[in-house]
Amino acid sequence: MAMNFWEAQQRARKRTSIYLFLFVVLTLAVSIFVEIAMRTFAEGSYDPPFPLLGSLFALVTFFVAGFQYMQFCAFGGSYVAESVGAVRVDENTNHPELRKLLNIVQEIAVASALPMPAVYVLQTPQINAFAAGLSQNDAAVTVTTGCMSLLNRDELQGVVAHEFGHIYNKDMKISMRLAAMVMGFFFILYFAMRMLQFSSYTNERPREERNNKGGNPLLIGALIMAVAGAFTWLFGSLLKAAVSREREYLADACAVQFTRDPSGIANALRKIAREQNHNEMPAEGMSISHMYFDDRGAFSSLFATHPPIDKRIAALEGRKYIPDEWNIPKP
Amino acid sequence: MLFQIGMGLLALIVVGLLWAMSTYNRLVQLQNQVKNSWSQIDVQLQRRYDLIPNLIESVKGYMNFERSTLEAVIQARNQAASAREKVAENGGPTGEGSIKQLAQAETVLKGAMTNFFALAENYPQLRASENMQQLQEELTSTENKIAFARQAYNDQTMVYNTSQQQFPANFIATLFGHHPAELFAVADEASKRPVKVQF
Repeated sequence: MAMNFWEAQQRARKRTSIYLFLFVVLTLAVSIFVEIAMRTFAEGSYDPPFPLLGSLFALVTFFVAGFQYMQFCAFGGSYVAESVGAVRVDENTNHPELRKLLNIVQEIAVASALPMPAVYVLQTPQINAFAAGLSQNDAAVTVTTGCMSLLNRDELQGVVAHEFGHIYNKDMKISMRLAAMVMGFFFILYFAMRMLQFSSYTNERPREERNNKGGNPLLIGALIMAVAGAFTWLFGSLLKAAVSREREYLADACAVQFTRDPSGIANALRKIAREQNHNEMPAEGMSISHMYFDDRGAFSSLFATHPPIDKRIAALEGRKYIPDEWNIPKP
Repeated sequence: MLFQIGMGLLALIVVGLLWAMSTYNRLVQLQNQVKNSWSQIDVQLQRRYDLIPNLIESVKGYMNFERSTLEAVIQARNQAASAREKVAENGGPTGEGSIKQLAQAETVLKGAMTNFFALAENYPQLRASENMQQLQEELTSTENKIAFARQAYNDQTMVYNTSQQQFPANFIATLFGHHPAELFAVADEASKRPVKVQF
């Protein structure tokens, strides 16, 4: 049974909005928690008329995230592709393999009713691909030379269609925003740690004086901020990874919508699963690993940016995923 | 009291006008989307009609004695090309449709092409020719693009037609002369898939 791609898309979109909602809830809840904690622990010395520390937490996070996001925005799709060493394919090339790649990209551009992106090739034997660029008009699709030599036409079409799925769903924008938010949380943690360091140098007051009622509000505030920053950074990263995995399923479902052929992309994934050296993608590409067609070797599945390949193939073929370990061999 | 009733009526009229405006705009937008996706098909059809004479010219030397097959392809191509022009003359897919004729001509052309490629398999030299391989890639890609463009066109046409027929938008649709665009349907199940281009 082939996958019902409309239903699969709906499911993935719904789950994404739940995760994004959780992200907002996380930020607001922690802001409130920070304020309450501060008022409890620094009772005597902290009593401003409005929630100072809580708003500080929220404001700093959003400000740093906004700044970070603006920096991401400054670089178009082509910049990202070139930064990992990919080479742009000339539109008038006569090389048969490159011609075929351009044709395939044009086909999917027609199928998805999206403008033709810039096409790049990355010199590496692994099968992989990525889409970059924050808007649909400034997108770049990169495939590896491994893709072109190891995949047949239908499989390459499936891979390109998956990358178009990311462009179609504006996934680069979502992941950049989430990455910026996580950076914001990390900044709070970093800043609070610095504050703690700072106050441990300056607070050379006698111990009994520091331990009096209320304590040093600066120290307590920094401590609370550090805990809150670490907590949100951890959970923000988890949510970001969960969103990323959901967007992979969505892009797979869109690939099927564009090509009306689940076997192309499923066979491409199978070929990747059989690859021995897949974890050895070029090192300079690691910072954009979440953007790849497949990204294995993440330290644990909770933080992985991509779902397991078997699970993606099962979804494409409309099966229920059963982990290998659960399969009891028949006698 | 009279004032309140007057205001209530006014509010109703304003809401009604706003609804009519947004429905009108939505229909126009959908109609333009249908037209745009038709022009995508149109471009690809034109490209295929341009490629076919090239193809025949290149194979003539190899398969001179398959004259009748080659002629069938040329004839089907010419008929499809003129059907395409007729659609353009009649104002595209949302005009007085002649898409049915084009779909029929396309079906005939597909049959002729399939026959041709089946015969071409008997000519190993033909398959080995580099020029032929390039033509093969171009034709395969064009076939795919036609199939994808048709898929997008049919999807968009369905949305346009449905929103014309829905109550109460159907009043606005009839008032401003919207009528359902024709689906670009290909006759039989086998020819729905793109022609397998293979030498």
